[in-house]
Amino acid sequence: MTRLAGVVVTGAALAAVVAPFFLKPFGIFLISTWVVLTIAAIGLNLTLGYAGQISLAQGAFVGIGAYTVALLTPMGVPFFAAFIVAGLLCFAIGWVLGYPALRVQHHYLAFVTLAFSTLVFLVLRNEEWLTGGIYGIAGTPRPSLFGWSLGGARDFYFLCLGVLALLSLATWWMLRSPWGRAFVALRENPIRALSLGLDTRRYTLMAFAIGSSLGGLSGALYAPLVQFIEPNSFTLNLSFNLLLMVIVGGSGYFFGPFLGALIAVLLPEWLRVTEGYYLIVYAAAVMAMMAFCPTGLLGLIERTAKMLRGRRKAAVTQALTEGAGP
Amino acid sequence: MTAVLEVSNLRKAFGGVVAVAGVSFEVRTGEILGIIGPNGSGKSTLFNCVLGQLQPSAGEVRIDGKLTTGMRPCDLNRLGVSRTFQLLQVFPQLSVRDNLILAGQEHQGSMASRLFGRADAGLGDAAGQMIEFFRLAHLADEPAGALSYGQQKLLDAAMAFMAGPRLVLLDEPAGGVNLTMLGNLRERLHAYHAERGATFVVIEHQMEFVMALCTRVLVLAEGRLIAEGAPQDIRRNPTVIEAYLGH
Repeated sequence: MTRLAGVVVTGAALAAVVAPFFLKPFGIFLISTWVVLTIAAIGLNLTLGYAGQISLAQGAFVGIGAYTVALLTPMGVPFFAAFIVAGLLCFAIGWVLGYPALRVQHHYLAFVTLAFSTLVFLVLRNEEWLTGGIYGIAGTPRPSLFGWSLGGARDFYFLCLGVLALLSLATWWMLRSPWGRAFVALRENPIRALSLGLDTRRYTLMAFAIGSSLGGLSGALYAPLVQFIEPNSFTLNLSFNLLLMVIVGGSGYFFGPFLGALIAVLLPEWLRVTEGYYLIVYAAAVMAMMAFCPTGLLGLIERTAKMLRGRRKAAVTQALTEGAGP
Repeated sequence: MTAVLEVSNLRKAFGGVVAVAGVSFEVRTGEILGIIGPNGSGKSTLFNCVLGQLQPSAGEVRIDGKLTTGMRPCDLNRLGVSRTFQLLQVFPQLSVRDNLILAGQEHQGSMASRLFGRADAGLGDAAGQMIEFFRLAHLADEPAGALSYGQQKLLDAAMAFMAGPRLVLLDEPAGGVNLTMLGNLRERLHAYHAERGATFVVIEHQMEFVMALCTRVLVLAEGRLIAEGAPQDIRRNPTVIEAYLGH
């Protein structure tokens, strides 16, 4: 990371800590949503951006995580235990969902995960005895931590932010370890990776499982955040939205999901001034970006930085050669 | 000398097309064996069957006497068998150094220990040495995709050597490489062979390269072995000349 990038990241982290002291409750709700969805987007970025396995099921894993917490906490299971169960459950389901990825790739895999997403939605809607069907589940309580009640919007935001910080650190650690290199190898050339001793089967399943598990953990925070969940919150729409966050932010860039989720959560609010047209403006902006910058915003920033550095280098070389000339 | 690799009656058919029609040979420890033959004679298919990329229709492959037919490429690699591919196979977005570390990291510890261990899997120095050995030091931190074709071929070969294999199968290492780089590659292969005593099997069309590098040559045509011998004899063999030039 360059020094400038370090300054930007530190500044953004500080802003995230002080922001709730200057925001109204709706503003705090929005940034909490950003934090929660960023966790799911980090998971998808791992599966898709790093390991190259397309998944249209991330929204379904958010749903599974949310329902796990919403169902377990009324039974007396402590929130943090339910939170871990949600992560483990999604890890296991993600692992199983990874098996088709061993046989099919790209759009075929997209269809497999899309079918899974639909399946989860149908279970959430139709299995009323378990999920409450279309009536959903209301009133998932917010937890307390060491006697500190996290019921207030700001307190709960800090819980979410803390979880995001921990999970980001863990993901960063994993991506800088040999696993990160192996995931990129899986994306770039699985056949060569296999011939270099990489157990591509295990890494593929792991990429799916860990990515899905982050989706589940995001959902586990989502339920107490909104305090009312229903199947329609976890349709393919959410999966597409998460996919958009990863792509817009910069797929395969560590901070891509942070930026992508911020845009996806805030832009519709900012575009409210355009009233009924906001979705049209939003869609047009996304299309323009995909046409001119398919690597996402961070890709664009990186490209610009490289260009500027190249120019500066060229200018220095020119100055030196001119200086050295007769 | 003992055989590192034994292939017996290997056959591979794709539907009605028989690519390899019952081939048997041995590769002895420390030799550099060349495999030549016209396009479509089954050389690459033979490699892919030996290395687990393809399942042979019949026949056996043994490495150090151990039956390895049907084993996965990653397991074979961990047994000390490495390869390069006919078409370039580097990881373009990883740096030269990371390409090399990747090529060795799965030989270090378990999957869990790799997660919690050092970022370079303890291979930073070894990668540095390999970079020096293949004279890529000035490019160590460049993404592999930014290298020229010839430099990528060198990197490709360096990756095959990274885990210190005992048997290396090189599929057309000279393909598309200019003469200067070719000399460089041949010299590096020779040097590695002399230093580590590894066994090489080389598929190649570039006859000068084969003649200069190999100690023994096998000739394949239409999926069958048609000749075997020292490079200078193979060059004069009428069956080989006919197979190459046609009737």
